[in-house]
Amino acid sequence: MSASAHTELDGNRAWAVVAEQELRGLWLGGRGLLLSLGFSLLLSVIAYLAATTTDLNFLERRESVSLTLQVAIGVGSLLALLVAADAVSGERERGTLESLLLTPASRLQLTGGKLIAALSLWFAAFAITIPYVWFLGRGVRVTGDALFSGLVVGTLLAIFLTSLGLIISALARSNRGSLSLGLFLLLALFAPTQLPSGAEKGWAGELLLRVNPVTAGERYVGRIVVEGYGWSQDLSWLVSPLVGASLFTVAATLVSARLLRLRGVA
Amino acid sequence: MTDSRPGRRIDRSSPSGRTAPAGGAAVEANGLAKRYGAVVAVEDLSFAAEPGEILGVLGPNGAGKTTAIRVLTTILPPTRGTFTVAGVPHTRPAEIRRRIGVLPESAGYPGWQTGEEYLRYYARLYGHGRASARALAESLLGEVGLADRRRSLIEGYSRGMRQRLGFARALVNEPEVVFLDEPTLGLDPAGQRQVLALVRRIARERGATVLLSTHVLAEVEEVCSRVLILNRGRLVAAGTVSEVARRAAAPRSATLRVAADHVERALEALAAAKSIGRVEAGHGQPGSLVATLNRDDSGDGMNGGLRALADAGVPVLAFELEGARLSDAFLAMTEAPE
Repeated sequence: MSASAHTELDGNRAWAVVAEQELRGLWLGGRGLLLSLGFSLLLSVIAYLAATTTDLNFLERRESVSLTLQVAIGVGSLLALLVAADAVSGERERGTLESLLLTPASRLQLTGGKLIAALSLWFAAFAITIPYVWFLGRGVRVTGDALFSGLVVGTLLAIFLTSLGLIISALARSNRGSLSLGLFLLLALFAPTQLPSGAEKGWAGELLLRVNPVTAGERYVGRIVVEGYGWSQDLSWLVSPLVGASLFTVAATLVSARLLRLRGVA
Repeated sequence: MTDSRPGRRIDRSSPSGRTAPAGGAAVEANGLAKRYGAVVAVEDLSFAAEPGEILGVLGPNGAGKTTAIRVLTTILPPTRGTFTVAGVPHTRPAEIRRRIGVLPESAGYPGWQTGEEYLRYYARLYGHGRASARALAESLLGEVGLADRRRSLIEGYSRGMRQRLGFARALVNEPEVVFLDEPTLGLDPAGQRQVLALVRRIARERGATVLLSTHVLAEVEEVCSRVLILNRGRLVAAGTVSEVARRAAAPRSATLRVAADHVERALEALAAAKSIGRVEAGHGQPGSLVATLNRDDSGDGMNGGLRALADAGVPVLAFELEGARLSDAFLAMTEAPE
């Protein structure tokens, strides 16, 4: 093959090819469907408990919508994180990374394709969440706001966490280590959501909530869904998720050339 | 044709008649080194591979074969030194990757895909559209003998079939240089034979240069035109198989048997032969003799000794030459203490 022919076969859209392959692997390979099924079961239990508690007047209908939505955001982004945490370390362990690195596709394109595929799990989780939110939100005219705020916040958090997962995956020595570290970080990020309300008072408590993209995002959703705030009110709670998503996406893509590599073999 | 002493640059005149890439050699390395901290994986590696040849890269486990291939295929950056592949300097790794095919050692495959889907994916990564990727995948699967299994999931493939699929993937971009890292590892004899036949076909029919890394000496003797021997990251020998065997092997010796009453005459005749350095009576059967060739023997070798025996009227009843095989050279060069 001539040199010019080689140039013609340059893969400018390699990211799309990689994304398609990753999506096929995730969904046709069955892993995505299995995770989504587990997510549906969990959400069914949460929605059932929220609905019955609401019927007994222990929980306001708006709160049950918020609770279900926050669980969906948390677990949906967890699924995306798990897939991202497997993206590089899993390929490395399965022995498929070297062949991929040998193609003309740049490491940036490879990372981009994997990021898109991991994000698909969040969007699938969100699609599954829609009927639950609609059912719980009947009569309080909150469904539209809840879904939209959930989509915005959940997408930002999913981008933040998948980027974080990719970086962990590229750095990790083993796939198990990558998944464990990813899960640990996610739990650490979600832990402040379980703090007693007293701990949130004062500048230190609020700073903790605002700096953490997960708690800040969930607080923003709660204000819109439960307290009926407008979109532009308290937008400052969105800063942390937005910055987290942007910074970590840039970090995952820019440093991918250095991180996406085989481990040294003497 | 070559100055194939370790560390020397090799003459690049091509015996194959193929058009050489700019710069002559299909692969050329100069002073290549790769270190992991204090660990030296490859040190001062210099060689050149001719266009269209099958160059064997031999070495025991841990000799640096895989690291050398990973450096040459741009997967790992060199610590020091330079190289060109298909005429492209190492400073343009993406361009090199477009021109090479690689079958890595212990390559993994996605079991959930069919062989055809797998090849289509790689074809598309090299810029092929969906239709041309499908056609290319079908053609390559036919070439490696997997046409009838193209729609089977890879998880159902045997190890040999996976290796052939790996070959097909390595050819997806019509490479000018193909790197094969231990391609017969773990295969049964039939699988090994199929893989070696593919190696020959790649070089003969596609005209590609093949770098075959292995520690199986018989494979090199069977398919390679030239050989590099690596040990502890360093190139210890290079040249044609017979050159390396002759130059680096332990002194060749021959065990002969003549009639017991001819032993004295045989000893005298052999001692007088120029190519024989030393001759002594063997400790085995009566009439057994051991003749050691001169190290600087230029090629006449044992023929000179046999002629001397014939001239002296000593019939040779049995004859066995030792120390002339690549395996002897390999062991001599890789087992020597540092």
